[in-house]
Amino acid sequence: MSANGKPKIAFFDFTSCEGCQLTVVDSLQDHPELLNAVEIVQFREAMSEKGEDYQIAFIEGSCTRQSDEARLKAIREQASIVIALGACAHLAGVNALKALHPLEDVRKYVYGDKWEWYETYDARPIEAVIPVDFAIPGCPIDRNEFIAVVKALLLGKKPPIPDYPVCVECRLKENICMYTKGKVCLGPVTRAGCGAICPTYGSSCEACRGFITNPNQDSMKDVLEEAGLSVEDITAIYTMFTTYQVREKLLQKG
Amino acid sequence: MSLTILPKPAFQEFVSRMLADYRVAGPTPKNGAYVFEEIHDASELRMDYPTTLLPPKKFLLPTREVLFKYTRQNGGVLQDPPESPPTVILGVHTCDLHAIQLLDTVFSSGQYDLHYMNRRKKTLIISIECLNPCDEHSFCKSMGTLTADEGYDLHLTDLGDRYAVDIGTQAGEQLLAKYANARAADKEDIQQLNAVISAKWPKFPYRLDFDVSELPSILELSMKSPLWQELGDRCLACAACTNVCPTCFCFDVKDEVELNLVDGQRVRQWDSCQLDEFATVAGGHNFRASRALRQRHRFMRKGKYILDAHKHLGCVGCGRCARACIVDITPVGVFNELYRQQEAGS
Repeated sequence: MSANGKPKIAFFDFTSCEGCQLTVVDSLQDHPELLNAVEIVQFREAMSEKGEDYQIAFIEGSCTRQSDEARLKAIREQASIVIALGACAHLAGVNALKALHPLEDVRKYVYGDKWEWYETYDARPIEAVIPVDFAIPGCPIDRNEFIAVVKALLLGKKPPIPDYPVCVECRLKENICMYTKGKVCLGPVTRAGCGAICPTYGSSCEACRGFITNPNQDSMKDVLEEAGLSVEDITAIYTMFTTYQVREKLLQKG
Repeated sequence: MSLTILPKPAFQEFVSRMLADYRVAGPTPKNGAYVFEEIHDASELRMDYPTTLLPPKKFLLPTREVLFKYTRQNGGVLQDPPESPPTVILGVHTCDLHAIQLLDTVFSSGQYDLHYMNRRKKTLIISIECLNPCDEHSFCKSMGTLTADEGYDLHLTDLGDRYAVDIGTQAGEQLLAKYANARAADKEDIQQLNAVISAKWPKFPYRLDFDVSELPSILELSMKSPLWQELGDRCLACAACTNVCPTCFCFDVKDEVELNLVDGQRVRQWDSCQLDEFATVAGGHNFRASRALRQRHRFMRKGKYILDAHKHLGCVGCGRCARACIVDITPVGVFNELYRQQEAGS
């Protein structure tokens, strides 16, 4: 806690596009009063000061190389509360796609003949490296949800992240179901909280917020098969944001 | 009560005049479907709509509403939300009319729900007789909701170039007198009305294989049916069924605090018994942790529990849940299968 009684918070980035931090900056435009409630001591995207005495750490990005691990552990050591900010940190997200190809091929594709100069390994959510207290899901995060999480933390409450599927928000908005339109959608297994923004604007849900705690994946797979999708098609939509989770599940099953 | 006639141009005028004093909601097209929406011009209405995505319930029990605002300063002060405006809901089908009668009973008995009832008291309902089935999913005839003799302020029947208007309440009569140029029905009108009504009934199929009066006892004997597990295996627990249901009334209540951590508001939003967390209580125990138990609970509510508690069936046969379900779980399918299982077992 700083002298003024405000909790000190810091933002960190690992492998990501930094769009979630940008959303945080954006949310400050709607909620400048956030700065009355907390003291931001480190936020590379938005300020040059760099304080190390933070209590709450928001981490964007996946862990994609050996050298990320020590930095993550140091943040965990300092912070009382660690929050994964967005899909890359929460799920490994699109970064995990490279696990579907031989690592050497991926490195050559990205770095050409200098591929050996740059260290990298399979992308993981930060939870695979350090204990994480909460996650703010999404690609990018929802700005209102970010504010709601901060408020909950200030009150000492559990952040109000829904554990029901996107369909709930979609139906209440009176969207036409993507399946009625003849499309497929991962809304029935994906965690809500985004306001069903993609289906609202005509795109199917691709599970950027990860799965609900108890998704009925067997039935979801039947639905996708009945919609005419091949195993390859199903794999393709399930690996947009949740490659890491799908692989972990398959590894568990052996 | 009594029958009057409103030629269609006069109906348009009637709506236009009401718009000056009322919030008017009715069926309007949206993305190839229909929704109940507040209108600002009579031309927005589609009185011949088949069905809507959400039922008109949303004007009485909004999907989300602020119950009150509060502040934690000065010992805590409550501030009521703004009063809801006087409202006319137009074009309500009789299935939804029966559903609203159930909601009225639920929210006015036991714990009297001020928010719902204040809104309800300021709402007039102008319903309309269905002359053709909306689609293959509705089963209103089996549920006894294909017509209604109460629950509306005014009830319309389309006679082609005019509406027959049945006056249901004094408030409806006053509304008509103040805003419409209606005329008394003559013998020819009454003959045509009778012809239209008797022509409609054969167009609607009975879709339950048994009489609806047997539904509660069929359900009562079905607690251990293997069907529930089959439904649980298929169900995605997406809550589409309950969210589109005109009779579901479960809600969740949450406090939303401002960043100053002093002021806030208490909101309620629709909830669903199909969601994983619905029956989880303090301490973490979930009374209906499986989808099978939740589906069973849903159908027991629709065909038995609500009837026992409120003297109205919890299902009005509108078919919205069947239309909305991605995995084809339908009340007609479920009720007929339970009936078949019992016939086979007895």
